[in-house]
Amino acid sequence: MISLLQSEWFKLRKSKFVFAAILLGPLITFFYALTLQPDKFGLEKTFLWEFLIAFTTLLYALYFLPLATGILAGLLCRYEHQNGGWKQLLALPVTRNRVFLAKYAILIFTVLAIQLLYLLAIWTSGVLKGAEGPFPVMLLWKSILGGWIATFPLLALQLWMSMLFKSFAAPFAVNVAFTLPAILAVNSEKFGPLYPWAQPFLMMYVSKDAGNDTFFVPWEQVLTVAGGSFLLFFFGGLLYFRRKENI
Amino acid sequence: MIVKLLAADFLKIKRKGLWLLTVLGPFGVVLLQWFNYELVPGRREWLLQRSDDDWLFYLQNVSSFTPLALVLGIAILTSLAASIENETNAWKQLVALPVPKMGVFLAKFTVLSSLLAVASALLFFFTWLLGIYLDLGSATPYAEIAKFSFYPYFASLPLLALHLWAATVSNNQGIPISLGVVGFLFASFSFKLPDWLPWKWPSLQNQWDEPLVNVVLGIGAGAILYTAGMLDFARRDVK
Repeated sequence: MISLLQSEWFKLRKSKFVFAAILLGPLITFFYALTLQPDKFGLEKTFLWEFLIAFTTLLYALYFLPLATGILAGLLCRYEHQNGGWKQLLALPVTRNRVFLAKYAILIFTVLAIQLLYLLAIWTSGVLKGAEGPFPVMLLWKSILGGWIATFPLLALQLWMSMLFKSFAAPFAVNVAFTLPAILAVNSEKFGPLYPWAQPFLMMYVSKDAGNDTFFVPWEQVLTVAGGSFLLFFFGGLLYFRRKENI
Repeated sequence: MIVKLLAADFLKIKRKGLWLLTVLGPFGVVLLQWFNYELVPGRREWLLQRSDDDWLFYLQNVSSFTPLALVLGIAILTSLAASIENETNAWKQLVALPVPKMGVFLAKFTVLSSLLAVASALLFFFTWLLGIYLDLGSATPYAEIAKFSFYPYFASLPLLALHLWAATVSNNQGIPISLGVVGFLFASFSFKLPDWLPWKWPSLQNQWDEPLVNVVLGIGAGAILYTAGMLDFARRDVK
């Protein structure tokens, strides 16, 4: 299993572009945070951290993160789609379950890296803007962890779709079709909590009254919506991959 | 010559999902407004109260999603169209035929811009249909619906030219798709962008409050970017 993970990471690393894809979101967040002017809103520097976090979450968690899952999953399957790579990979003494698990594990750890870089982007931009007051570390950990968990089902679906379609753009189109409605869904108190593609935003958005020590949304929502869709997409993808014909 | 190239390219996009996406894009943009107005009871009445001109307010709601769908749609369609040759390394075979490389590029651009034109016409039709269904008043503003459906198309031509070039010269289709994501982030914060950035143009906003400026800019910059992309495509070696 370790060697499978190593080989997956090696293949990804060699395409070089993956590093650009990882840095993309945190970098844009960083520059966006630098352009924000809290003075215009009559806010003092004491609340700069809260201000930066609230504004960048919209850009990062609602727009970027769900779309990034599509890019990463596509990059991870790109190598095999070229020149009969699936055949070669599965001719090795590895089980399909393990290949799927290894690819999925690489995906979730890549997203974790992106989340940590986002944390770094917030911190750096805040320091550069001369934030006073303590860095709200606990709030951010909740947000980072929550956003990470919320991408699990999205990554599972995108891995499935990326294995299904040979072209890079087709699975991404599926991703876009589900992500765009999230912009509307987060405005709705009724449908937002039920929509898996709205979860990265809802779980990253800092709010005070969730009645939950670990996340910003109730446990029932984490378990049923994120957890339920994760089970559906993960096992759907796994079952598909076990039966996939390799041409 | 160009007619044959076009016919070949229309044949190549069959059963690849490009037509499906062409229909799905405008349908989805309008469907979201159906959700917005109708899904929650009482929401429609609340939205209608917010303005004097119900049609215009509805059109503005629709057009808040049009630029986003366009930017991502362009990235997806161009990448899919380039993948036809990319996946099977068919660029070599294609340019080995007795056709000019510029013609190959022109044919791809024409096919994609036709698809987007069809999508804009469908957007007009779906917008009109939902507007009638929502009963927004007797005087249907056909000219305004046309403006909100076709102006963004012309304003996004530079993005089409840029993405077609990026998709045809990239071996890794993750690159043009990531460019699309960056463009999407720009487009979703278009009110903060300076007027000269093409990603702002499909939103039809500018400092003069005159959407026609974006149309003219779109066609002009589109022609320049198209020519630059075509010239670069023509002199590049095929891998």
